[in-house]
Amino acid sequence: MGETAPIEFEGRAAADLLIGVPLYNNAATLGGVLEGIRAGIARRFPQARTVLVCSDGGSMDGSEEVFKNSLDPKLRMAFVSHLVLPVHRILLPYHGLPGKENALKTIFETARKLQVKACAVVDASLSSLNPEWVSLLLGPVLEENFDFIAPRYVRHPFEGTISSGIIYPLQRTLYRKNLRYPIADDFGASEKLIRHLLSRKIAEDENARSNVDLWVTAQVLTGQFKVAQSFLGPHVRNLRSGKGNLGTMFHQDLSTTFRLMEEHQEFWREVKGIQPVVTFGTPEENPPGISFDPERMIANFRLGAKALIEIWRKILSAETARRVEALSRTPENRFSFPPELWVRVIYDFAAGFHWEVVHRDHLLKSMIPLYLGWVASFYRENKDAPVSVVEETVEHLCRVFEDQKPYLLERWEGKGR
Amino acid sequence: MEAWRIAILDSFNHFMNRVITFLPNVLAMFTILIGGLLLAWIVKTLLSLFLKAIHFDRVGERWGLSQLLIKGGVDASPSSLVSRLLFWLISLITLTLAINALELTATQKLVAQFFMYLPNLLAALLILIIGYLVALFLSQAVLIAAVNAQLDSAKTLSKAVHWFIMILILTMALYHMGVAEKVLIAAFSILLGGIVLALAISFGWGGREIARDFLEKWAHKKRGKDAGSNDSHHL
Repeated sequence: MGETAPIEFEGRAAADLLIGVPLYNNAATLGGVLEGIRAGIARRFPQARTVLVCSDGGSMDGSEEVFKNSLDPKLRMAFVSHLVLPVHRILLPYHGLPGKENALKTIFETARKLQVKACAVVDASLSSLNPEWVSLLLGPVLEENFDFIAPRYVRHPFEGTISSGIIYPLQRTLYRKNLRYPIADDFGASEKLIRHLLSRKIAEDENARSNVDLWVTAQVLTGQFKVAQSFLGPHVRNLRSGKGNLGTMFHQDLSTTFRLMEEHQEFWREVKGIQPVVTFGTPEENPPGISFDPERMIANFRLGAKALIEIWRKILSAETARRVEALSRTPENRFSFPPELWVRVIYDFAAGFHWEVVHRDHLLKSMIPLYLGWVASFYRENKDAPVSVVEETVEHLCRVFEDQKPYLLERWEGKGR
Repeated sequence: MEAWRIAILDSFNHFMNRVITFLPNVLAMFTILIGGLLLAWIVKTLLSLFLKAIHFDRVGERWGLSQLLIKGGVDASPSSLVSRLLFWLISLITLTLAINALELTATQKLVAQFFMYLPNLLAALLILIIGYLVALFLSQAVLIAAVNAQLDSAKTLSKAVHWFIMILILTMALYHMGVAEKVLIAAFSILLGGIVLALAISFGWGGREIARDFLEKWAHKKRGKDAGSNDSHHL
């Protein structure tokens, strides 16, 4: 695998749009994704000079053949291999794309070289991409001068509870923008943003290597950029790399989130309030929900409270630890994780991570039973409610995160430790 | 009478000669003792300041050293304990050197033996400290992993790992110090063999039902996973 470098397109120097598709063993879905992109360009930007770049992490499932079969003489298309180190394969991220930061670097460097006005990145594992996505991700950048278009998928709040219960409310409180899906697999970016991300050494930054999707969002939200989000519809992926493991996902997302909090603490400690972002597209109603086994989750929480309380006491404040212990003794029919307690738990863990009160890996993994306790409570209290009501519960949780920010600041400064 | 006087004078001269010859050694001993103790005190103070500057106590707290000290009834922070340990080590070496300065045959032999043994003692101490930290880290990792795997016996498993490593490092440390090597190896082998045998018997005979339940649950879980259950909905 060679060094990451921009692709050379002979003959023509510049382009208007670039669509990048990072991929790794996505032969099953790549054809559909490329077809959707081509249709989207033909429908919405027929006159634009468009380039399509597939950046591959060393696929061995015939993805390149699928690409060759999808070649279109009306489009400039390239299939390039991005840098993948052995460590990328050993520590394969949950999204299954080794070296994604290098793929984005290749795409962005090509976009900069071609002086494109707008660039979109879409996931090759998608089976739900429709041609409208191209318009929704590139249109606001081209026509309304936005710098970053985040995805707003149609998902039930029960789907993606790490995002709904931790990442979204936390990012919203810290960085002031209500981007509903801050882990942006698919996004649109302006020339200005691309230059900024390249200047921040996307492929070398430790946090970008850990979770480039979260890193990009944090860079955007802490910079001077015009931000919006677009309703893209359902988000269905075919992960060939295997099913997601909760421990891995939780660890990768939370460790990056907490490290980004350290990186951007000068920003979030100062700012106050929320700046709602513009949302493009039309929301679809009633996404299908999913079911959990709350009894099993509560059992896991109780086991955690019994076995891990000594570790939790080092991380949580005395009052929070006492309340968590009391909660673990609550009868199942009255089990309810109060939002305010949940927020304090998150803030205590963020501050504990910052102060390294426990080995960071152990700290993050010991948080999983607490998270399962919250998910069980969230699910049981909302399982019969319409989606709009569940979404309002998430919004209420966000407001509790915002109200409790002084507590985070106290703990972050080491008070009560 | 003259002979008697000469005998006494000779004896006295001989004694004085010996005192005069020995006196510098005594002075050297006191100088080494005072200088060494002063050096030990300076090193202790500087090390204590350095450890406080690098927040060693916080690291000690994270690794469980502070808790261990509290459990052992030691009312001192890890940084203070380390600096005190170094103080006593330098003091001990100083004392040995001071005794050696007397140039007495018996003490010289003792000092030589002490210095030959010192590396073993230090290595054993190092093995104990590192081993304890490793035991603590791994037992905590096992505890968390077992809780996340929903094993009710998480605490027992974690304690078993902790004590297994502790016994192993204690054996290693004693072996390094040369304390009854053969007895130690035999005792450790018997202990380890005994544990394995006890587990084999309890699982194979006493815990047949539990073992069967465990395997059934495991197989069921595996089938469930293969059938498509996954955690990706959490993200």
